[in-house]
Amino acid sequence: MNDRSSAPAAISCKGVWQVFGHNPEQKLKAALERSGGDAGSAAANLRKDGLIPAVQDATFEVKEGELFVIMGLSGSGKSTLIRSISHLIQGTAGEIEIDGENILAASKKRLIELRRHKLGMVFQHFGLFPHMTVAENVAFPLKMQGKNKKQRRQRALEVIKLVGLDGREGAFPRELSGGQRQRVGIARSLAVNPDIWFLDEPFSALDPLIRRQLQDEFLNIQATLKKSIVFITHDITEALKLADRIAIMKDGEIVQIGTPAEIVLHPVNDYVAEFSKDVAKGKHARVSMVMDGENPVPGNMPDDPGLRTNMTIDTALAKCMELYEPVPVWDGEGKQAGFVHPSELAAALQVEAD
Amino acid sequence: MPQNSETKSLPWGLTPGAFAAWAAALLGLACILLTPVFPWLVKWPAALTLPMTDWIGSVVGWFLSVLKPAARLFSAGLGYPMLWANWLLTATPWPLVIGVVTAIGWYLGGLRMAALGLGGLSFVLASGYWIESMNTLALVAVSVPLALMAGLSIGILAYEFPRVKKPVQGLLDVMQTVPTFAYLTPLLFLFGFGPVVGLIASAIYAAPPMARNVLLGLERVEDDIKDAAVMSGGTRRQQLFLIEIPAAATQIMVGVNQCLMAALSMVIIAAVIGGFNDIGWEVLLTMRKAQFGQSFLAGLVIVVFAMVIDRMSGALAMERRRYDLRVIGLLMAVALLFTLLMGSSLPNPSDYAAFDPTAAVVDRALGDFTAEYGLALDQLKNTILFYVMLPLRIGLDNAVLPFTWGFMWTPAMSMIFLAVAATGGVALFLTGRRVAGAVLLLLAVTVETGVAELPWAFVIGGAGLVGWVSGGRKLALFAASMLALILVSGLWDRALLSLYLSGVSVLACTAVGGATGLLCAVSPAAWRVVRPICDMLQTIPLFVFLIPVLMFFQIGEFSAFLAICAYAVVPMIRYTRHGLINTPEEMLEAAVSSGATGWQIMREVRAPYAVPTILLGLNQTILYAFSMLVIAALIGTTGLGQSIYLALGKGDVGLGLGAGAAMAILALVADRLVQGFAEEKRRALGL
Ligand SMILES: Nc1ncnc2c1ncn2[C@@H]1O[C@H](COP(=O)(O)OP(=O)(O)OP(=O)(O)O)[C@@H](O)[C@H]1O
Ligand SMILES: [Mg+2]
Repeated sequence: MNDRSSAPAAISCKGVWQVFGHNPEQKLKAALERSGGDAGSAAANLRKDGLIPAVQDATFEVKEGELFVIMGLSGSGKSTLIRSISHLIQGTAGEIEIDGENILAASKKRLIELRRHKLGMVFQHFGLFPHMTVAENVAFPLKMQGKNKKQRRQRALEVIKLVGLDGREGAFPRELSGGQRQRVGIARSLAVNPDIWFLDEPFSALDPLIRRQLQDEFLNIQATLKKSIVFITHDITEALKLADRIAIMKDGEIVQIGTPAEIVLHPVNDYVAEFSKDVAKGKHARVSMVMDGENPVPGNMPDDPGLRTNMTIDTALAKCMELYEPVPVWDGEGKQAGFVHPSELAAALQVEAD
Repeated sequence: MPQNSETKSLPWGLTPGAFAAWAAALLGLACILLTPVFPWLVKWPAALTLPMTDWIGSVVGWFLSVLKPAARLFSAGLGYPMLWANWLLTATPWPLVIGVVTAIGWYLGGLRMAALGLGGLSFVLASGYWIESMNTLALVAVSVPLALMAGLSIGILAYEFPRVKKPVQGLLDVMQTVPTFAYLTPLLFLFGFGPVVGLIASAIYAAPPMARNVLLGLERVEDDIKDAAVMSGGTRRQQLFLIEIPAAATQIMVGVNQCLMAALSMVIIAAVIGGFNDIGWEVLLTMRKAQFGQSFLAGLVIVVFAMVIDRMSGALAMERRRYDLRVIGLLMAVALLFTLLMGSSLPNPSDYAAFDPTAAVVDRALGDFTAEYGLALDQLKNTILFYVMLPLRIGLDNAVLPFTWGFMWTPAMSMIFLAVAATGGVALFLTGRRVAGAVLLLLAVTVETGVAELPWAFVIGGAGLVGWVSGGRKLALFAASMLALILVSGLWDRALLSLYLSGVSVLACTAVGGATGLLCAVSPAAWRVVRPICDMLQTIPLFVFLIPVLMFFQIGEFSAFLAICAYAVVPMIRYTRHGLINTPEEMLEAAVSSGATGWQIMREVRAPYAVPTILLGLNQTILYAFSMLVIAALIGTTGLGQSIYLALGKGDVGLGLGAGAAMAILALVADRLVQGFAEEKRRALGL
């Protein structure tokens, strides 16, 4: 979970709207004029008119190599958002750039180009081609690239192995379990080695055990491949485990974007707080988030339990069970980064919305 | 459904249904009473009749004659593949043909299908109709690829361009309601006499089901699959041909199956044009010569053919196992070996007549049977004719004669009859059964005058009112104006006759089919018996229905009635059963836990829930009845069917198309009205 705020943006969205219904462009323009540019009331007006503002005024960036998670209740517009980023649907308003290229202005040919080489996508309902075997499914994007049969076969077997399906490459999708199908979808999206990877609830069809195992594999893959990823889930534990940053959506609106710790410790409203209600916060928040790094370090600190900035609060608390005075916090290189009062560590776990 | 604002203004707080029923009943009563004074209420004045069939004739005729050279060229071109297919099928030694069909059967469905192919074709061979059957098959073999290509292109077009989808669907609707015979006439004009016309007609008839299924299949491909194809970087064409069409294969195969069956059915019907020594012609010929044994046999050959084609192509639409391909090689080798060994001593297939004795036996048995029971059969026929069909057709006032009913109907009786009905109706109204009262009066009016002599104002007004109840103002306008079009075209009398015959048949089908469906819903054992019969009836080409009824009841309206019923009853049975069976489990449990008995559940829960489904069945039955009506014209009915058939004989394009259009209008109006009710019921049940 390193800091990437200085990295260039892989995806950048500015004021993206996706409105479903009759004549959405005109209606959106009119609604925005009426509300004086206020997205919330414009969306409310559109809803009253019988339209569906599935994504309202989404503005965010995904950095290169970042794993960006989108969370939200069912119907909050997560799938719609990535569908408009990948230009599967024509956005109603806003700007979308991929690697600095405005893709709304891209020609059909350029879009096909981008999809063949740069973008990969895993679908919520898998979207496997029923008339093709696992290997043919996985090799299909390569076929579109114009690779020959031998190259396709070789690369397909490679990714099939990566997702642990070796031996099943001759099976048809209907012969596979839900979890296996899911993996075929993942393998297919990886076949062309895309730079930008969209995953729409890729682990939802799996039982908890396999899910955890796949999440770990996924983190491994990401550690080596370093892709820019947009990952949808509605499982908070999954989000916290995987994400560099999390965006929380509600009724089409992005209500908060932040690191896992920020989401857990500083939710902007009850909706966000509700998500992390049952999460063991101490496992996700780190000492650096509660320590005091600005004020001068008090002269005498009798105890030093050896807290480090990247320690989870749970671990830190365990070390200061018996302590009632501020203690020092050390960074990775062994320099003193600040101090923290043990009672603040405990208080951090009782979070209310800011 | 009429808007609330409309219902509010109805007098005496009537529901729209009751209001419309009473308005129609009173309109009918008024028409009857006024007819003696204003005879034009029944008979539309000739002076106001527009010669529409002539107009259609000259406009279409002109148009066709422009197209004619191109069409002739086309038909000449099409003649070649037909000749080749014909030559291939008839010149190939029959053991090879049987071997190939058996092998195809094996490939499609393993041992069962192989056995079906082998058995079916052996039967055809033994019947002595091998050559005729191969001729028919050659027609199908050329027309089906045409129909498939056309259907596929239309389906894809409608799918790719949303703007043309609506018009295309409308066109498909119309094509399925316009009776098959109707477009034979213009086709004859365009392409000239000969088997090519039958071929083209069957391609035209068989394309719509293919187009429908292609469109449906493509639309039903999961969104994620379509998106995955896009995200893989496929061009639109790659998406369509590499992903979407293969993914829709199952539904498309259903289309192929329907297309094959439609083509076969039409090829056989087109035999009435003649000129090609095919199996349909054989049926027609023997039927005309009253050689029922032979005709029955030929009919059986057609049924066997239909079964083989249907079951084999049906297997395409199912999930298939892969069968050992070596068996195919083996089958072919055996067939080849057999042919070579027999060499020139291979018997000529036409010499087979294994069943000729059977045919003779059937003839004799039939003769004996009619000699023995002819009287009883006649009695049955006459009873139904005199006491049910005739009064419905020409009314009590004309049907009640001394030699049928034993007395003469007098105008005084009419008055008394109507007065009694009116009193009964008012009594029912006052005791709260308002719709029932109006229905009683409506029935009385209809029976008194007869459908064929109903005042036009009553028919059109009534249809408008029914349309209003079922679908609001727009449907009312549609129904009334479409019927008015028939009225002024001069085809009105014939249309009423057709309406009468299909009406009687639909009534009978509703009663018999509904009861059978109910029986099958309560008793699985009954369904086990009825189901194969239904399957069978739906596989048989329309034409073949005529054979058995002719055998027993000779030419005439009654035979036509029976043939229509036999064909049209199937959807009623199926939908009724289906509707009654598929009540949601929790509704049944709720009823059981409230202590309802089996019959109470049937009446209070299952039946109301099944109404929309049963209405759809009725809708299908009506459409089936109309399509059979035209075929039944071959064995003597009056009305539009007869006109279409006559037009075919005379080459009168205007009459053929006009009468066909009138028939299509009747079917479309009936379809929309019933659909409207079904839709409303579905909404009322929250489905
Ligand atoms: N093509 C469409 N036409 C009309 N409305 C749509 C369309 N696609 C999505 N919607 C609506 O947009 C809203 C957001 O849908 P979306 O599929 O993005 O939700 P989601 O957050 O992905 O939910 P889930 O977690 O269930 O997948 C929903 O109200 C949905 O009904
Ligand atoms: Mg979704």
